[in-house]
Amino acid sequence: MPEPAEREALEVEGTVRELLPNALYRVELVSEERPSVTAHVAGGTSPTRLRPGDGVVVAITPFDAGRGRIVRRR
Amino acid sequence: MSLQKSWGELETMARAARLVIDTLDILEEASVPGTTTLELDRIAREAIEKAGARPAFLGYRGFPGTLCSSVNEEIVHGIPGSRKLREGDIIGLDLGCILGGFFGDSARTVGVGRVSDDASQLMNVTREALHAGIEQCCPDKRVGDIGHAVQTHAESHGYTVVREFVGHGIGTNLHEEPQVPNYGPPGRRERLVPGMCLAIEPMVNVGGPEVEVLADGWTAVTRDRRLSAHFEYAVAVTKHGPWILSEPYPYGQLEAEAVNA
Repeated sequence: MPEPAEREALEVEGTVRELLPNALYRVELVSEERPSVTAHVAGGTSPTRLRPGDGVVVAITPFDAGRGRIVRRR
Repeated sequence: MSLQKSWGELETMARAARLVIDTLDILEEASVPGTTTLELDRIAREAIEKAGARPAFLGYRGFPGTLCSSVNEEIVHGIPGSRKLREGDIIGLDLGCILGGFFGDSARTVGVGRVSDDASQLMNVTREALHAGIEQCCPDKRVGDIGHAVQTHAESHGYTVVREFVGHGIGTNLHEEPQVPNYGPPGRRERLVPGMCLAIEPMVNVGGPEVEVLADGWTAVTRDRRLSAHFEYAVAVTKHGPWILSEPYPYGQLEAEAVNA
């Protein structure tokens, strides 16, 4: 009897488009149905500085397609 | 979670696996036009209880049957009921038992009477995909290698594999770690070690891979309502390679004791 699959976060590539308040970023996604997500940077309070135009990899939870977590630069 | 089983535990696993296969043989015989899936469920329960085992699925997360019977566009988890089998149907028979504290779990899809060439091709390819996955069950391979082999074989025939449901570790629980997806890149996920037992179970669709679960909360069907097939074996990883637990230990009795060393 098969088991329901655990839903995993999906990693997609994108580009930072806009700096938002609260250390959030608007990230434009490459090749996704959804054009952009609101994303925060992974890694707690580390003062990562991203600027518009920076390439990043975003993990998107299956529970909310509009939110992302920036896991690394690319 | 105990991933590795001792030789003695594997022998008990093998007895449970064999009981499931023997019962599936009876059910395959009984899958003729006019039989209801509820009758198959009753046959399955009687055979398992007569052998001194218990049904594994009955009551599992609330599942109401001993057998999962999934006809045509039903992928898995079909609930046995008054549905009568018709000539040309294909039916997925998925069965589990508990024997001596260990779980057996296996599945196959069979034709009712004569089936179309398309249907028998689907069943053949799904069975082959299962064996392609089993071949990967060697020490130091990875769980991702299994899924990759299954997916590659199924898709090379133009079919798709289901993502929403996955195979699983098996032992003193029906579902143990790790999950065993039927897709994905090779070389990823958990490393295989001798003594690990995995239930590998490709679900292969003629049309798209999308799944829909019906209002009963269990029955999973293809969203496009096209045919789907499902085969499953419980397999142990040994230092010599895969052992399909329902078959005799394939690497000779001498080494048997050292399987886990």
